[in-house]
Amino acid sequence: MQRILTVSVLAILAVPGMAWAADAAGSGDMAKAFAVLAAGLGFGLAAGLCGLGQGRAAGSAVDAMARQPGAIARIQTAMLLGLAFIESLVLFVFVIAVILLFVKS
Amino acid sequence: MELIEHPPILHIPAIPDHILYTWIVMGILVVISLVATRRVALVPTGGQNFMELVLDQFLKELDETIGHEGRRYLPLIATLGLFILTSNLMGLIPGLVAPTANLNTTAACALIVFITYHVIGVRKQGFIPYMKHFAGPVPTVLKPLMFVIEIISHCARPLSLSLRLFGNMMAGHILLAIFFFMMGFDGMLGWALSGSLGGIVVGAPAAIIMVVFVVGFLLPLKILVAFIQTFIFCKLAMLYIAAAVEEAEHH
Repeated sequence: MQRILTVSVLAILAVPGMAWAADAAGSGDMAKAFAVLAAGLGFGLAAGLCGLGQGRAAGSAVDAMARQPGAIARIQTAMLLGLAFIESLVLFVFVIAVILLFVKS
Repeated sequence: MELIEHPPILHIPAIPDHILYTWIVMGILVVISLVATRRVALVPTGGQNFMELVLDQFLKELDETIGHEGRRYLPLIATLGLFILTSNLMGLIPGLVAPTANLNTTAACALIVFITYHVIGVRKQGFIPYMKHFAGPVPTVLKPLMFVIEIISHCARPLSLSLRLFGNMMAGHILLAIFFFMMGFDGMLGWALSGSLGGIVVGAPAAIIMVVFVVGFLLPLKILVAFIQTFIFCKLAMLYIAAAVEEAEHH
């Protein structure tokens, strides 16, 4: 039951996506297709690895907070700064993906 | 992007959108400031109370980051912070544009920070000692190499500062636009209203799920991101200024 539900929700979410993808591939040439592919793959890779990095950072920060509840404010500030630095690398990829997708070359 | 993005409500053809909305943000901030300082009382009430609360937070951060000298930079940091926060929050309202979702606005803010902290550093200790600081505490042979690397890293600061804010706002903007598109009349709701069986069975629940998801998860997340990005921007600006000031005290 659970699996059927999951698959059907995924299918629902994928239907408009497939329609757009068909549009994009149909109208453009080879370079456009590769640009879409590169944007999708690159951003997925970046987001996944960023998840790993941010998970480590947040996990360590929570660990430290649990050990020293008195220093929660400072640890939180440091954690936010660290997360922002990790995230900014993904955002560079995001900007590149947006350039690939939307800027006519 | 033209496919999914709705043009903003207020649009003057000759003026780019982000500049128009920057003016609107400026207007909002000026009005709030005027209301707050119209009758300045020792025991604050209403608007003055609110603004004092907000500025107290900035003062606390400044004291914590820069030290006893930090309060001099309150005007710069608080102006940047209030401007960025108001712009970020304005992007949450459908039909309005966040000025910070445009690279020009964020680059302007980042360049102001970049120039300011260099000017502060040069003022504090003179041009030559400040330049010497880029070389760092390494043996003389390595100093030219270190100098070049430091220059590059300092030039990367405004780049990352502006791209971080821009990327966050832009990503949230596109995400919201895609979701509104998917649940709107071109997406699930249109499918549900088209009269086909699949639309009624699948499209209508999907549209409801998306509305719940957007209102319950995406919009709170975007509010959180708006505050955190403002915090990060101001904190990094403070850290850069603190580095420039600290170097002066160190030697």
